[in-house]
Amino acid sequence: MLEVKNLTVRFGQMTIVNEISFSVSPGEWLMIIGPNGAGKSTINNAISRAVPYTGTVLFEGKDIRRSKSREMAQNIGVLSQNHYVGYGFTVEEVIRLGRYAHAPGLLSGGKDEGEKKVRDAIQKTGMEPYLNQSVLTLSGGELQRTFLAQLFAQDPRLLILDEPTNHLDLIYQKQVFALVGEWLKKSGRAVISVVHDLSLARAYGTHALLMKKGRIVSIGSVEQVMTPENLNQVYDMDVYDWMRQMYGQWN
Amino acid sequence: MKKKGREGFSLPVYILFIAVTLAVMLLCICVGSVMLPLKDTLAVLWNGLTGAGGPVNEMAANIILPVRLPRVLCVALVGASLSLCGGAMQGLLKNPLADGTTLGVSSGASLGAVAAIAFGISLPGFPFAGSMVLAVIFAFGSLALILSLAYKLDSSLSTNTIILIGVIFSMFASSISSLIITFAGDKIKTITFWTMGSLQGSSYENALILLAALALFGGLVIGCGKELNAFAVGEDNARNIGVDVRRVKLTVLICISVLIGVCVSVSGTIGFVGLVTPHMLRSLTGPNHRRLLPATLFGGACFLMLSDLLARTLLNPRELPLGVVTSFIGSMMFIYIFYMSRKR
Amino acid sequence: MMKQMRISIALLLSALLFLTGCAQKGDQAKETAAQSETVRSQTEENQTQPENQSQPENQTQPEAQSGSKAQGEGPITFTDMNGREITLEKPADRIVALTASDCEILYALGAGDTLVGRGEYCNWPEEVLDVPSVQSGENTNVEQIIALQPQVLLMSAMAQTDEQIEALENAGIQVVVSYAQDIEGVYEAISMIGTAMGKNDEADVLITEMKDTFAQIQEDSAGDGSETIYFEVSPLEYGLWAAGSDTFMDEVAQMLGLTNVFADMEGWGEVSEEQVIQRAPDYIVTIAMYYGEGQTPVEEITSRSGWENIPAIKNGKLLNLQNDELSRPGPRLKDGAEMLYDFVYGGERDN
Repeated sequence: MLEVKNLTVRFGQMTIVNEISFSVSPGEWLMIIGPNGAGKSTINNAISRAVPYTGTVLFEGKDIRRSKSREMAQNIGVLSQNHYVGYGFTVEEVIRLGRYAHAPGLLSGGKDEGEKKVRDAIQKTGMEPYLNQSVLTLSGGELQRTFLAQLFAQDPRLLILDEPTNHLDLIYQKQVFALVGEWLKKSGRAVISVVHDLSLARAYGTHALLMKKGRIVSIGSVEQVMTPENLNQVYDMDVYDWMRQMYGQWN
Repeated sequence: MKKKGREGFSLPVYILFIAVTLAVMLLCICVGSVMLPLKDTLAVLWNGLTGAGGPVNEMAANIILPVRLPRVLCVALVGASLSLCGGAMQGLLKNPLADGTTLGVSSGASLGAVAAIAFGISLPGFPFAGSMVLAVIFAFGSLALILSLAYKLDSSLSTNTIILIGVIFSMFASSISSLIITFAGDKIKTITFWTMGSLQGSSYENALILLAALALFGGLVIGCGKELNAFAVGEDNARNIGVDVRRVKLTVLICISVLIGVCVSVSGTIGFVGLVTPHMLRSLTGPNHRRLLPATLFGGACFLMLSDLLARTLLNPRELPLGVVTSFIGSMMFIYIFYMSRKR
Repeated sequence: MMKQMRISIALLLSALLFLTGCAQKGDQAKETAAQSETVRSQTEENQTQPENQSQPENQTQPEAQSGSKAQGEGPITFTDMNGREITLEKPADRIVALTASDCEILYALGAGDTLVGRGEYCNWPEEVLDVPSVQSGENTNVEQIIALQPQVLLMSAMAQTDEQIEALENAGIQVVVSYAQDIEGVYEAISMIGTAMGKNDEADVLITEMKDTFAQIQEDSAGDGSETIYFEVSPLEYGLWAAGSDTFMDEVAQMLGLTNVFADMEGWGEVSEEQVIQRAPDYIVTIAMYYGEGQTPVEEITSRSGWENIPAIKNGKLLNLQNDELSRPGPRLKDGAEMLYDFVYGGERDN
């Protein structure tokens, strides 16, 4: 579905992502993990064309640089970590923006199908009660669900999540990940997400990409990648031991 | 979710807007520095509109059609254009304080016009065109410069960064203008008056140029309503949902530059109109640009016509520069918006 | 709120007026009346001795020298137009004059060669452009002035701060304020500058010449105030500015027996086109400059729409005074008055 070859991203003299190659197939949830500054989010930004890069990124065999913006959005959807909305748009207005890529002209057909997608997205994320509320009055979790609903309405095939639950309470973290997990069940879809929380990565991911300083340390299934040796090397500490201590307290 | 025609205004609302605007226009034609009997004014206006001849008050005939009507028309069109630009910029940059004045675009445009007059740049056959073209080019150059500088300093384009750069650029452009005026000697000393904003001496040709620019470039901007909504939610979000960010930004910025450039070359710098109108209207229409932008056309026209009415009549027989009136109201509004946005 | 608005508007307006370097007269119409009395009596005196009028012209040179010498022996004392007592050791021979009118007075007194510096807007007579210029008005640059090492600095009462004056005087420069607000004030300025230069006689001659001209004009003028005149200071393109009452133009108009259409407005101000059309002046004078391209100021005014029926335009009674003859409180006011007289009473005149 997605194929990344020799992806390199530089900011000035600094090389943030260095010659990375990997691929994602339908049904996969790839967790990109690694310490701060490893270049995790930058990979996402490159795939969503938000930063310039060298190398190639292919979606279904087509170079994404050749895709039109709307086509891009029909294929790949992005949820970023926090949103500051400038004006008091209603929740419904923001969710409906998700259909932008599918409505090229005023007189195009497919309106009913779009309407259904919007309604489904609202219903799945439980945003009905908020529809006419201003987004400025929402809590962080509600806001993230609003944008998740927008993303569902957009109906892409690959979802890119950039630390989607960074500022959220546990309950919202669970909500968001459960919703994405549900979304992934339909065939032909895949998810790439950047996470800090290793236990979340382990619980929801099918595959993992472990990075350090812009390079891949290990890639493969979650079990293959998230071994004590790999994690300890990357994080420079005994991750498993620390996890055990942390969670041990709760038993 | 209920209504099919959603987002945009329905026809009755447009009719209401047009009715209000026409009413304000009529008021501004009937009231002025010289008080004319209402009956004569209407008679002259009626004869002018229908082409019918008839006995009319000579004074009213000399004043209404040749002087007052073209001025009111130009004022309305300038108000509509500047307000539309303000509304569009505020959406595009997700910045409620953005406006031709605060971003320094107007100063840039007037620098262009001053340079054109000072160095005698003009197109043969079109005495106005030299300063107009240069004003448009400078407006666009200023926008490009301000925004690229802002991106360099602060890629999130926060409100404060942009305004700060805008103010600095504004001072820079004004100082260059003053420099040109100083070196150009007596020839354009009088431009000091002009830069305060004046619509005295407006002609029907001016109104026609403004109307053409507004129909063409204003129409394009209004057509970008959906995209501007996405920008107002956030530029990243706009990219994510499939907006061609570069193309839309370039289109809107070019349209804004043309509109501001044309307005400045016709009327000088009339400050803060683009700040005041969209802000007042947003509380009525909501932030959705598919409603807000059409509303700014009518709101801006009414606001500037009423400001001009004040300018014409407040200190009779003296005339206040229109820019003084709008800047006074606008700076109050600026402080209010800034205060509210910081409190949040 | 309303009050604050009016105040801030007033402030802005005054700032604007200031920018124009506006020559406003201070006071009441009474003064004008009193002064025209003076003019009249002066005229009678002069007319009784017609020979004297031509004589001083020839005697100017020798008399001036002897006068200077006589005064040069002791210090000169006089009061400047700010009411300050001034004492000069000897007649001034190195002068910086900031205002255009003071430069003109110096040249008219034959003392142009004493100028070592001039304000940037001084442009008459042409020779003055060879004198080094300094910034003036609100941009007055004390350092530039000190660097020229003048003995006396002539300036107006506007714009300069007490600190600036103190700095100048500490540098050994005698500051003399010359600030004419009406024609009587111009005589006063000429006489004061004459005293400072040791050219009292020349000053008297110049004043007499001016008074004679004005008296002659007033006597010859047949107007009874029923005909009206409109002075345009800045053209329509930049916002219409007109001269109201308490301006030199207004004073000269009265001399000619004309009524200024904007006499109800004090000083210079932006007026609306509609007002000009309504007030329908019989004569229009514009002081706009013409640069040799496009319409001349007169053509431009004639072509304005809605103005066709103004009597002045119907009858082609438009005059363009391009060289500040009527806006500057200097000796050329008499030239301006004469030009205006010729324009109004001298029959058809193509500008």
